[in-house]
Amino acid sequence: MREYYVLLGGFGSGKSELALNLAMERAARQACMLVDLDVINPYFRVTERQDMLDKAGVEIISPPYSMKKIEIMSLSPRVYAAFTPGEGTVIFDVGGDHVGAVALGQYKPNFSNIPADKLNILFVVNPRRPVAADFQSAWVLLEKIQGVSRLRITGIVNNGNMAEETEPEHLLEGYELVKALSDQTGIPVWGTCGQPEMLEAFETMAREKGLEEKYIGQLYPIEILMHRSWGKYLEEGL
Amino acid sequence: MAKKLMKGCEAIAEAAIQAGCRYFFGYPITPQNDIPEYMSLRLPQVGGCFLQAESELAAINMVYGAGGAGARVMTSSSSPGISLKQEGISTIAAAEIPCVVVNMMRGGPGLGNIQASQGDYFQAVKGGGHGDYHAIVYAPASIQETVDMMQKAFDKADEYRTPVIILADGLIGQMMEPVELKEAKDLQLPEKPWAATGYTPGGKKPRSVLNSLYIETEDLDELVDRLFERYAVIEKNEKMVECYNTEGAEYILCAYGTVARICKAAIRILGEQGIKCGLVRPITLWPFPSEAVHEALAQESVKEALTVEVSAGQLVEDIRLAANGIKPVQFMGKAGSRIPSAEEIAERILEMKRG
Repeated sequence: MREYYVLLGGFGSGKSELALNLAMERAARQACMLVDLDVINPYFRVTERQDMLDKAGVEIISPPYSMKKIEIMSLSPRVYAAFTPGEGTVIFDVGGDHVGAVALGQYKPNFSNIPADKLNILFVVNPRRPVAADFQSAWVLLEKIQGVSRLRITGIVNNGNMAEETEPEHLLEGYELVKALSDQTGIPVWGTCGQPEMLEAFETMAREKGLEEKYIGQLYPIEILMHRSWGKYLEEGL
Repeated sequence: MAKKLMKGCEAIAEAAIQAGCRYFFGYPITPQNDIPEYMSLRLPQVGGCFLQAESELAAINMVYGAGGAGARVMTSSSSPGISLKQEGISTIAAAEIPCVVVNMMRGGPGLGNIQASQGDYFQAVKGGGHGDYHAIVYAPASIQETVDMMQKAFDKADEYRTPVIILADGLIGQMMEPVELKEAKDLQLPEKPWAATGYTPGGKKPRSVLNSLYIETEDLDELVDRLFERYAVIEKNEKMVECYNTEGAEYILCAYGTVARICKAAIRILGEQGIKCGLVRPITLWPFPSEAVHEALAQESVKEALTVEVSAGQLVEDIRLAANGIKPVQFMGKAGSRIPSAEEIAERILEMKRG
């Protein structure tokens, strides 16, 4: 039975980054499929990492024309392949905000057939992003996304970061935000993600400050694969 | 305000709001849709108005209306959409109405593509619309610089009663960088006695008429003379340029916007090989910082200059005019959104050195 991850959240909250990291991690030990369901971004999308994903053995389902460098407002019929019986992991990378999450709505009947313990619907937050930075706006966004995607979010992810200027304090800010969201909605915190050295520093801080385990969840180390930063751009191009 | 991780488009929109912009009229086009998206969310929160117009032409004429009533107003688009707005920009310039127009350039001509490009240099700098007019054109190279520029753009638009263009590219719009936004404190907007804010018969304020139609030759002549007197003041006071590593350099790179940032990386590569290369980056494309370009190139140490742009040879014309033959100016660039890498630029300088 396949296990499913659906990544939702605000624009630029780090969904694609987490999607790529999850895909690379899973592909190392089992079958893995990544569905690019982003109808928002013209560039900086997971499909641009096709070569890396191919090498790692990740099967990627992209919208038609997505590598033709035009805007994609249609979804591939191949998305339905993600719901056929099989093994391994399927990851959905969805466009930002409720606007992007709309793309999921039509798959409601398919998601309904998946047992709850195999379905991880994650809401990614970064308190340093402008639109969903505070509890109130993040909560409103979470509810809006649940509405249009026709899915119940099962976990919240703390992805506090400032790209190349990230400090452990950003994860601390994220902790406060996911804690408030979790308390309000009853949705558990799935995890806290960041580059290994940030997670390590955050762990120490968490111990010192006596942060609650349940609002930290698993510490999920990520590598920067999906960048939008200038430094990476200079090195690798878009 | 604490630093935020922002997409260029969002940062521009927020910076405009901090600068007192309360009205946005636009029509969607990639890669700048995040600007109207953000404005549609934020403007109602600050008592402003976002309106998605039925076309680019409608949007720019709404800008004419709001600007004419004295409001701080902005529109944004990307290359093909900016072409559609040109009639309005010419009219706004003629009617002396302040406004800010953001162009997140994409590949052209025609519908082109949606990748970053610099193909609208001529359009922004040499007119775009019909008739004798100019717009102040700012060319930011980073998201932080764009943010810092927005306040200035609105201030200068008001000061000179002119349209101001922010000429950025899709890369600036779509990239994410940490930025610091300055919260506007007690924003004092300048008095605009000329604005059409309503007429009371018998009142003290004379009737305000904002117009670009001057049937009599003498009247039109007078308008254009007035505009060009003002342009002379802008040319005198508003030029902005960054000279990086130019003193005593052997080669000078000339570039604007994100390409200038790539040039800086090329300069580091060349420096490691013992070649001193500098960069002249015009920040205002009009008024064009000709003197700074000339001065950098006139140095005895300088052998040649290289203009780098993501277009088929536009900026290079102004660089050559500024150089006025004092040193050879080579050209490196391609249309079709082919952004050169730092290594390619460095290699070209090495080729020039080999002769």
